[in-house]
Amino acid sequence: MLTPTLPETKPIKLSVRDMAFSYGPKKILDGLSMDIHAERVTAIIGPSGCGKSTFLKCFNRIHEVAADVDVSGDIQIDGVDIYRGGIDVVDLRRRVGMVFQKPNPFPKSIYENVAFGPRLFGVKDRETLDGIVEDALRKAALWDEVKDRLKESASGMSGGQQQRLCIARALAVNPEVLLMDEPCSALDPIATSKIEDLISELKESLTIVIVTHNMQQAARVSDYTAFFWLGRLVEMDLTERIFTTPKVQMTEDYITGRFG
Amino acid sequence: MPQAPEVSIAAAPEGGYPVLEEGLRPAAASAPTFKHSRLQRLADRWAHLGFLICSLLVVVLIGGILYFLATRGLAAFLPLAGNTGRALSFSEVFLSADWAPSSDRFGILPFIAGSLGVTGLALLIAAPAGVLTGVFIAKMAPAWMRNLMRQVMDLLVGIPSVVYGIFGLTVVLPLVSRTWLADAPASGFAVSALILAVMIVPTIVSLSTDAFESLPAALDEGAQALGSSRWQAIWRVLIPAARPRLLTATVLGLGRAIGEAMAVQMVIGNNPQWMALMRESTDRAPFLRALFTPAATLTTELVQELPNTAAGSTWNNVLFAMGLLLYLLTMVLILATRRLGRGKEA
Repeated sequence: MLTPTLPETKPIKLSVRDMAFSYGPKKILDGLSMDIHAERVTAIIGPSGCGKSTFLKCFNRIHEVAADVDVSGDIQIDGVDIYRGGIDVVDLRRRVGMVFQKPNPFPKSIYENVAFGPRLFGVKDRETLDGIVEDALRKAALWDEVKDRLKESASGMSGGQQQRLCIARALAVNPEVLLMDEPCSALDPIATSKIEDLISELKESLTIVIVTHNMQQAARVSDYTAFFWLGRLVEMDLTERIFTTPKVQMTEDYITGRFG
Repeated sequence: MPQAPEVSIAAAPEGGYPVLEEGLRPAAASAPTFKHSRLQRLADRWAHLGFLICSLLVVVLIGGILYFLATRGLAAFLPLAGNTGRALSFSEVFLSADWAPSSDRFGILPFIAGSLGVTGLALLIAAPAGVLTGVFIAKMAPAWMRNLMRQVMDLLVGIPSVVYGIFGLTVVLPLVSRTWLADAPASGFAVSALILAVMIVPTIVSLSTDAFESLPAALDEGAQALGSSRWQAIWRVLIPAARPRLLTATVLGLGRAIGEAMAVQMVIGNNPQWMALMRESTDRAPFLRALFTPAATLTTELVQELPNTAAGSTWNNVLFAMGLLLYLLTMVLILATRRLGRGKEA
């Protein structure tokens, strides 16, 4: 029971097979397998400490920044294992963008924040950069709000704007997958609904994996939902089914608020 | 006119709102009263007075030093009471390189240039080294090394400067003169700056380590999630983000360097005529030569000459003027540090 039985037309973008993750002697994730389809939104839900964020971070190997960790099993993007076979981590991170829990704009101007990624990859031409920045800001539904103050510091923006800026920053390097780690947990309801609208638009061209604490959010934005508990995948199915007719009792108990 | 909506206010439940269980209720009348005794209140007042006196003492001390320095230092230029020497003009003191007190010539330019030169050179070595070491400790070193390095740096900050001076005099100077200068004396800017740099690096390292550690981890992660290499994240995001605090660290190092007397005096060669010497030399590499010409700074000259001059003489007054200049320079640096520190929060 890896993928729900439905006539899925989109190809598999990310596939995870029997994956385990440990940090020192502590096992965080174990025996995980799932398929994530391209141009779909997959939501990961589960109580705090169940390993959802850790799972997300395995897709761009960003956990390697903070600590030595041990990942076993297979994680593939387009059929290529991202932990072995000489894959370039920098290229992986360009293809797999990430938006974090708290907006983390760099202490630079709005323009420089978005141009940061392209500059890393050697784009120097001013006109090309201008184009990329505008395009990314438009995709993140931020252009109209900031087009007259691109040179201003990003720290002067509201939390919701900062988070959309971070999305624009991630989009500027043209990723194939966007990982979102509770992107709305620090935002008010209006900013949250803007981000949710954005997710629905972005999935036209991107694979999105979103970790969320908010059950309604998972129900609103995602096509698939995976429920994690204590580092294991309990159930994954079409979001509709998870929220109406889950197969596992524990899933039902969690989404109806009986525990977690 | 629109009708005001009818508002209904729910009536309080009979017997009032339910009260929280035991423990959160206000203390009953029979509860003991908590009050300070007369003695405690008296002690409090006296302690308050004691603290006030101590802090006032510090203010008075600092003000007193400034007053003392200013009256004695300005006496070089003004015909003040008790002044046995002649009053000099500002230009013949600050703009002249001719220091010959016994011939009544008091140009202190060599010392100003000496102080700025040594300090500048030291900073040129210490600032990049300190900041990069800070990056290393905060962002790259494994935990055990981070702890070790931090403790070593804190120890190094506390070593008396004369110890650095001994090291320079007995190890570095002979080494340099034997290795590159064919037994000529190596004293001068190069070795002084090196010793000073070694002295201030720990300060800069400590403060820049703090600066990098206080940056949110999200910045580092964010940069690397976009495909930055370790180095690109440091160079393009972390260093710019920490810049105000790095500048503060550097200015504090600068402050320590410019005020340092002992260590520098032991290795700089103490030659007030170094500028004249430079002018006479026909060397083809004047800058390199300047690095190894025995020189002098404001601080070293004060240490050398102040004990040998009569109070109230012009010579003595000019030395005080140099002291005043140092005081003001340090003040400016401290104020600049405050400024930079504030810039961080803005």
